[in-house]
Amino acid sequence: MVNFTIDQIRAIMDRRENIRNMSVIAHVDHGKTTLSDSLIQRAGIIADKVSGDMRYMSCRADEQERGITIKSSSVSLHFEMPKEDKLPAGCTSHEFLINLIDSPGHVDFSSEVTAALRVTDGALVVIDCVEGVCVQTETVLRQAVAERIKPVLFVNKVDRFLLELQLNTEEAYLSFRRAIESVNVIVGNTEDKEFGDVTVSPEKGTVAFGSGLHGWGFTLGRFAKLYAAKFGVPEDKLMGRLWGDSYFDATAKKWTSNPQSADGKALPRAFCQFVLEPIYQLTRAIVDEDAVKLEKMMKTLQITLAPEDAEIKGKQLVKAVMRKFLPAADAILSMIVTHLPSPLVAQKYRCANLYEGPMDDECAVAIQKCDPNGPLMMYVSKMVPTSDKGRFYAFGRVFSGIIRTGQKVRIMGVNYVPGKKDDLFLKSIQRTVLMMGRKTEQIEDCPCGNIVGLVGVDQFLVKSGTITTSEVAHNIRVMKFSVSPVVRVAVEPKNPSDLPKLVEGLKRLAKSDPCVLCYSEESGEHIVAGAGELHLEICLKDLAEDHAGIEIKTTDPVVSFRESVSEESSIMCLSKSPNKHNRLFMKASPISMELQDLIEAGSDISSKDDPKARANYLADNHEWDKNDAMNIWSFGPEGNGANLLVNVTKGVQYLNEIKDSFVGAFQWATKEGVVCDENMRGIRFNLYDVTLHTDAIHRGGGQIIPTARRVLYAAELTASPTLLEPIYLVEITAPENAIGGIYSVLNRRRGIVIGEERRIGSPLFSVKAHLPVLESFGFTADLRSHTAGQAFPQCVFDHWASIGVVNKDKKATEVALATRKRKGLAPEIPDLDKFHEKL
Amino acid sequence: MVLYIIGLGLGDEKDVTIKGFEAIKKSSKIYLEAYTSLLGGSTSIEALEKFYEKKIIIADREMVESGCEEMLKESTENDVSFLVVGDPFGATTHTDLVIRAKELSIPVKVIHNASIMNAIGCCGLQLYSYGQTISMVFFTETTKPDSWYDRVKINRVNGMHTLCLLDIKVKEQSIENMCRGRLIYEPPRFMTVNQCIEQLLEIEEIRKEKVYDQDTLCIGLSRVGQDDQQIISGTMKELLDVDFGAPLHSFIICGDMHFIEKEYFETFRVKKN
Repeated sequence: MVNFTIDQIRAIMDRRENIRNMSVIAHVDHGKTTLSDSLIQRAGIIADKVSGDMRYMSCRADEQERGITIKSSSVSLHFEMPKEDKLPAGCTSHEFLINLIDSPGHVDFSSEVTAALRVTDGALVVIDCVEGVCVQTETVLRQAVAERIKPVLFVNKVDRFLLELQLNTEEAYLSFRRAIESVNVIVGNTEDKEFGDVTVSPEKGTVAFGSGLHGWGFTLGRFAKLYAAKFGVPEDKLMGRLWGDSYFDATAKKWTSNPQSADGKALPRAFCQFVLEPIYQLTRAIVDEDAVKLEKMMKTLQITLAPEDAEIKGKQLVKAVMRKFLPAADAILSMIVTHLPSPLVAQKYRCANLYEGPMDDECAVAIQKCDPNGPLMMYVSKMVPTSDKGRFYAFGRVFSGIIRTGQKVRIMGVNYVPGKKDDLFLKSIQRTVLMMGRKTEQIEDCPCGNIVGLVGVDQFLVKSGTITTSEVAHNIRVMKFSVSPVVRVAVEPKNPSDLPKLVEGLKRLAKSDPCVLCYSEESGEHIVAGAGELHLEICLKDLAEDHAGIEIKTTDPVVSFRESVSEESSIMCLSKSPNKHNRLFMKASPISMELQDLIEAGSDISSKDDPKARANYLADNHEWDKNDAMNIWSFGPEGNGANLLVNVTKGVQYLNEIKDSFVGAFQWATKEGVVCDENMRGIRFNLYDVTLHTDAIHRGGGQIIPTARRVLYAAELTASPTLLEPIYLVEITAPENAIGGIYSVLNRRRGIVIGEERRIGSPLFSVKAHLPVLESFGFTADLRSHTAGQAFPQCVFDHWASIGVVNKDKKATEVALATRKRKGLAPEIPDLDKFHEKL
Repeated sequence: MVLYIIGLGLGDEKDVTIKGFEAIKKSSKIYLEAYTSLLGGSTSIEALEKFYEKKIIIADREMVESGCEEMLKESTENDVSFLVVGDPFGATTHTDLVIRAKELSIPVKVIHNASIMNAIGCCGLQLYSYGQTISMVFFTETTKPDSWYDRVKINRVNGMHTLCLLDIKVKEQSIENMCRGRLIYEPPRFMTVNQCIEQLLEIEEIRKEKVYDQDTLCIGLSRVGQDDQQIISGTMKELLDVDFGAPLHSFIICGDMHFIEKEYFETFRVKKN
């Protein structure tokens, strides 16, 4: 019973003001996918009956089995607002196209959420009203705000208050308010002026309550409409009165903010009296099988059940009745179209965040206006596997122009630099498709403001990229993930002759997941790195079953470390070039943890900033010498890491001619540190002096690069090198009697508890702790067995912490040597004499 | 014993001086430096070995710069010859070798020969009126070293000729291989006169200090000192598409010319057809 056609959808795609691109985000098990189902069901794609149990958006067998979402998936919904409702500003018709992306809630898959947020303008944040705001809710909300995505809130699982926990209405109100407040704390403290106020509140209509599982939900608007006539108050005004400290004094027939009536009686809160009470009564009537009362209520509320529902009882009947009374999909869809921005509105303020080029070139202007007549600008945020093995749809959002089947476009990878030819391909689009959950529908073209899949682009892009028709276009900014691939394993085929298949499979795996890293070590090992144990498990399963199609062997997971320094170099390091005519002098010193984090987040300071602004920022906030700050040559590794090469020389001739060679050496050295070939982090290399040969031929790359690398290594070795290990922030929710078990497991694994609190209004405790990733393998299973299966941890990468100075502290030295051994490097940490020379 | 550093001249195996030849004859080991210049086109290592009746060890950049200990150790006990194409001190790299030998108290004897620095006289410009010599290195997309521009400017302002030595890349590693310490080399490359002119004009375009332009007189030379040496003079524009043939190439930007120089210059003038 599909009640709309692709042609209909295609027609609305041209009306940018009537499009809403939104993602559904939440903590794991807060009910995103179930809620999405009820929205899809409303649009008529799946049948009424199975909604709530179906998981339309979970396309993969393992997703259905485990009941979690692993990959985000997208669907286009057609929504027609009731004719009598007021149209949102700027809209031209009652028909809307909603592109909805369901995203995973497990922290290990946060990168999928990032990819989803990039292509949408709004987010439906789902919160379990019992558990409240959890780690993942917080992480994704922060990301959403950073991407300038407007949130609306759905407080889910309200049925649990009624049926399981039996809270009274006032208690329910308080926990709703708490949930909303904690969301606003996160989204409210941004200083983003262009983006404006994004806090949510029920009286504005940006919060809905309900139960995704039972398919009912409401905003205050629904009730305001119901009561407007009765009280003779306009709907908008009434909405404000149905939330907060607002009471109705029935005897005095007056609204008041005083919880006592004129004659001294305690008054129930308006929200409780007029909103929750009818729901409670209706539910209770059904559960108590009070047929008379039920019939009476149904009559007043004008609910008529379908004939086939006449027989059902108990919870099933609650579901049927409530769904008729307060259909969730209608409430949420109209909240979405009313309060989330259309591409036309959103791209105006998102453009500055999205586009790397100048804000006045033709592409930026077209993006800001969401101009279908402008040059094509599309961002591919992820790759979605097709039924054709090994091929992918490039999934993304068209920001300006129109993308057509057969159109010639420029495909620009993440390393593309305007004006150069690296990472640039000129190809034509084979097909454009609309993603409909597990199905796709072919369309002829797709105008800006929409989300689309492309066929025939996958082999030119690794994971993401920009597609354009403009020759002057810069890239659309690369996504920053909140998780990093810190857990890795080495894989090899069971049958050695399958190696080519494995290599091919690894390439496909790298494409299919925004976050996974696949590479090979110097020793020839093939490494797969993921955000956490679960993420890695899923990746390896995909690799074995789909991408490579062979049996694979994996090693135990290992953790990435970072090499850092704890002091300034004890001596001035000197390296001479092979021809001895060039000498480089350098010292290393640590960068503050705070600054390291800022650089990695890429928000306040990055390699792409204007050097002057960056210097001012560093001088004002991080006590840098302004002159030094002006002379930052490079960030590394990968040109954006948290190591800095700073030129503090004075008046050296020809210095700019060796800069490139030096930066090249710096990139490689920071990628493969001297201690155990791990990335460096938080090291500032100061170039103090350089003496060069007068003739260019004697100070070419061949002379400078190896020398620069040696002097960088010498500087690292003399600055008390340390190893950093990744630390998870773990949040464990469990009942009180499981707390003892949690503490003992954490203790054994070097975990440090940083907070414990009771979730008000529920029997659950939440424990927060820092846990080394190194100790996290098997943590979930261990925890479950010690708490009789009652504790569920969520681990999210939090920070890097030092495990000591190499060659001084036992642990650090051991780890360094073990890492060297695993990588097939020389067993000893190299001697300073190899890098440092005497004058 | 003695470390002989012997210039081989610019031509073929027979260009070695008699003194040098005698030194080679009594040496127990003979190394040939093979990266700052090229053996003349008409000769080869085999021809050298045949003529000197000695085995020759090829010393590449790694060997000379990073691994010369062995050679120096050898020369404490026996006579060792280190052969250099051109003159031993034409390429500065070898001063370092002399210093290291001195540190080990090994006696060093240098036997000179012709170098591009003096053989360039063949084009008729007087050696007295040359200014600073410059090296022109291959530009890449990101680096365009142009410090030589200032020196050309000094020469031109003072009316001096400028000799440009052109980059040769033999056994060069790519940046990645260099950083990883892998000994994988790029194919050899030699700069041609045409490339040199392009780069000269490119920098003039950027700096715009009017040091020279495409009508500046200049001379292109190839395989100087060999039987098929070629000298062609003209304006930069005229020489831009002249084929100078096999390496090595050299280039001169003329300063103010004496009338004899001018006359000589005209004899090499590129034919306009």
